[in-house]
Amino acid sequence: MKNNIGVYICQCGSNISDYVDVEKVRDEVSKIEGVAIAKTTMFACADSTQKEIIEDVRNKKLDAMVVASCSPKLHLFTFRNVAIRAGLNPYHYVQVNIREQDSWAHSDHPAEATLKAIGLVSAGIARVKHSKALKSIDIPSRNAVAILGAGVSGMRAAIEMADMGTEVHLIEREHFVGGRTSQWSQLFTTRQSGEEVVSGLYNKIINNENISLYTGAELLSMKGSVGDFKAKIRIIPRYIKADCILKDNQELLNATLKAINACPVEISDDFNFNITKRKAIYKNYHSEFPECPAIDYEHCTKCGECAKYLDAVDFEQKEQEVEINVGAFVVATGFDPYEPEKGEYAYAEVENVITLPQFKRLIEMNEKELTYRNKAVKNIAYIYCVGSRQTEGKNNYCSRYCCTSAIHAAIHARNKYRDINNFHINRGIRTYGKQELLYEESSRNGDIYLQFDEENIPVVEKQGEKLIIKVKDILTQEKELEVEADLLVLVTGMVPRKHSKVSDILKIPLGRDHFFNEIHPKLKPVETVIDGVFICGACQAPFNITETIKSSLSAASKANALISKGKIELEPTIAEINPEQCSWCGACTEVCLYDAIRKIGHNGKEIAEVDESKCKGCGMCLPVCDQNAINLIGYTDKEIESFIDALIS
Amino acid sequence: MARVNPDFRNTLLNYGTEDFSACYNCGNCTAVCSLSDENNSFPRKVIRSSVLGLEDELITTVDPWLCYYCGDCSETCPREANPGELMMSVRRYLTSRYDWTGLSQLFYTSKIWEIAAIVFLALVVLLLFVFFHGPMTTELTAEGGVKLNTFAPWKTIELGDWIMAGILSFFLLSNIFNMYLKMVVKNKMKIPFRFYFTELWALIFNFFSQWRFKKCEPREITFWSNLKSGKYNYWIVHFLLMSGYVILFTMIVGFLGWFQTETIHRWYHPQRLLGYYATFGLIVGVIYFSVLRIKKQNEKSKHSHFTDWTFLILLFITAITGILVHIFRINGLPNLTYYLYVIHLMVLFPMLMIEVPFSKWSHLAYRPFAIYFNNLITRARNREKN
Repeated sequence: MKNNIGVYICQCGSNISDYVDVEKVRDEVSKIEGVAIAKTTMFACADSTQKEIIEDVRNKKLDAMVVASCSPKLHLFTFRNVAIRAGLNPYHYVQVNIREQDSWAHSDHPAEATLKAIGLVSAGIARVKHSKALKSIDIPSRNAVAILGAGVSGMRAAIEMADMGTEVHLIEREHFVGGRTSQWSQLFTTRQSGEEVVSGLYNKIINNENISLYTGAELLSMKGSVGDFKAKIRIIPRYIKADCILKDNQELLNATLKAINACPVEISDDFNFNITKRKAIYKNYHSEFPECPAIDYEHCTKCGECAKYLDAVDFEQKEQEVEINVGAFVVATGFDPYEPEKGEYAYAEVENVITLPQFKRLIEMNEKELTYRNKAVKNIAYIYCVGSRQTEGKNNYCSRYCCTSAIHAAIHARNKYRDINNFHINRGIRTYGKQELLYEESSRNGDIYLQFDEENIPVVEKQGEKLIIKVKDILTQEKELEVEADLLVLVTGMVPRKHSKVSDILKIPLGRDHFFNEIHPKLKPVETVIDGVFICGACQAPFNITETIKSSLSAASKANALISKGKIELEPTIAEINPEQCSWCGACTEVCLYDAIRKIGHNGKEIAEVDESKCKGCGMCLPVCDQNAINLIGYTDKEIESFIDALIS
Repeated sequence: MARVNPDFRNTLLNYGTEDFSACYNCGNCTAVCSLSDENNSFPRKVIRSSVLGLEDELITTVDPWLCYYCGDCSETCPREANPGELMMSVRRYLTSRYDWTGLSQLFYTSKIWEIAAIVFLALVVLLLFVFFHGPMTTELTAEGGVKLNTFAPWKTIELGDWIMAGILSFFLLSNIFNMYLKMVVKNKMKIPFRFYFTELWALIFNFFSQWRFKKCEPREITFWSNLKSGKYNYWIVHFLLMSGYVILFTMIVGFLGWFQTETIHRWYHPQRLLGYYATFGLIVGVIYFSVLRIKKQNEKSKHSHFTDWTFLILLFITAITGILVHIFRINGLPNLTYYLYVIHLMVLFPMLMIEVPFSKWSHLAYRPFAIYFNNLITRARNREKN
């Protein structure tokens, strides 16, 4: 029991004292047994007040502190630090909120607000009397990270972490690195191609000793907790020997081309978003990394045709499982483009309706003249916000990149081919920041912009070879206008990756948009509620490449800061099992969100045990325990009960 | 349903507009326009129709004729899409669309055709004189003036004037009728017959005063302060030019016998006073507008289509040769008088023949008629509403 307590009642300028009679509060609480000193102060957080509190603690040998001021969200750590500097354990400090929860809330009733303040401060004093000195929990950490996804985001994070001395395991599901970026040709604003960007990153990765790259690899399972995760990875065979490097080797390249020609298996090519076919042995583009080709494990019939031309084919390779031990995860698994439903703007019903990613590949594949399915394309219509900003549907969000991307593609098409007309049928153009330059360029080129709202969506009709798109244009007094087009491009947004098991394995919560969720969009933008698991890039929300790289760098530095010291300090306010009372019913494990409670043997019986490194102190397990065997350190029954008693007395 | 036609932009580019496709529909131009109102909202609507190539919309609209090109819209356009010049070009385009002969389109879109037509008509005048001129007598009148009516008897010339006026009127009136069909009939408005008479004042009043032109200046400033600060200069000079032109045209076509005399009247005789006023108006107007077009300081004079210059140059030569004919005649210089007279008509005739029904001069009819038609439509619409 603390019985030499210092109480400080803050006026917060006049924010509190205008409505709460702080003098009266002080007079009342100073009568409470155990209170050695009670003061009012203009600003408790001011430097001079902090010094005064420290001196009081030292001179009067105070054993606990209460500051009644603003929300603990604002200044809990300020005053915990005051306690530490005064030589007091920081957990002997309790903050009472008499601003947000009192003076501001009851500014019309000052007399009652004062009574409430007396109650709240008395309760704080009652609670701090039972406080215990606590120490943060230190757990060891491995300075190694698993980065999931070797797109631009994962690769950039890998390079950064490796440069800071962390051992990096870069895990890519495909046989080639680069992710979505490698599928785009010219990029705004640098005019570099996606291939160039990927090559630049890959060359750094391959020359970095701290990075191990796994391609064709997938996370299978994860055990352990922050600082000491054990992850199992499944690696599917490439069926090509690693020494088959095509770079600068014309002979090998020719052999590869012949091998690809010879392959009898044809499947739709997801690199080109299924508008073309590819063989089971493949390489998406010449400078793709790693340099050796790959054989599609799933579709290959092992007929051996390719092996006739290419010696490097090796069907002996087997599926492998590898276990790695890392301190943290950085998840950079990216996005999928939205796949329109059949019949959505005639998609999959009328053949000259394609999506934006398909259109971008189409531009990349057509050199002199733009054709689709052997028909010349001159008039291109773009319908925006397909699968985005649906008030009725699943995807309420704006994907943010698509306006810019569609306009960029339209400019590219116009510059590359002759006599192109672009019709942008949009719901308001959102080319924010520098991207506005593209919008301007496109309008100066003579691109036509029509705007519809969600109540009146465009209607697509096929008339002979042509498409007729009917729009109620809100920029022309909602007049119904017709656009005649050879090709309709559906400007699709981003959706979370399909078939991603990562969120199940790592237990990353999903947001309402079904992307991975950060703790706080502004203050903790790359951290998840799972300690040691960071997210970055388009797996988190629709991002463009610039934004992706920014988030991957912050995830890299946050992850490195967490695991590179060799130990991790965790909050001691976690659940604690009383082994005498516990008789293992399992109710607590069922409600635990963090998988932090397990069964152990103790003195011949089964009881629950809390994993210190996993428990977040959320308190979910407390109310379900029949035996009342669980206590939350820092919020023990005694503390909370005395708090309530003081409040109602 | 209207089909979007991006190629229409190129059509309009031929009529002199700078590229307007940078427009992003903010509507700033309409907001700053002193003439735009609820019934006739422009230039944004006109720009939108131009961008989308909605020709039917453009042909049936009155709005371009209600704009007098103060240039506020172009000055404040955040995209520098030059709405003012677009409105001007749409007027040129409309002129060519009202004209059923197709000549207007030819003259507006091809310098070569325009110049060839001028040269051809000048040669016609020249040949007529070569074959049919009267004796080139050097004998002077009792007052010492040249016997111009001997070389070119006013009765013969007047006959020519009437023929010319007949042709001009035929083309111009048929074009106006065409405009009426597109603007009023196509709009499918039921217009009570009496409105055609009650609204006639608008036609006459606006023809002579260009009252709306004056309204281009901000409304909150008073008439007198605008006059003092020179804000009405443009309107006043335009009025001088217009009235001079109308007076001369009336005297030449209607009263040539009174105007082209051998008697040298005293300086205060109405024949000479009216002639001097009209010539003064033309010269001052031509110089004022030419200087503005050369200086390119204010928005409305920044962009000159070649037809703008053709018109000013022809008008200038007509006025100068007219003055010289007058000077040489009263000072008794017969040969110079005759040659100058032929040159004067060689310029005057093509100018009227081309400019009045087919080119820039036609706005003297289209503008007041547009206001007249607009009043008809607006009144009929208000009547329907009530």
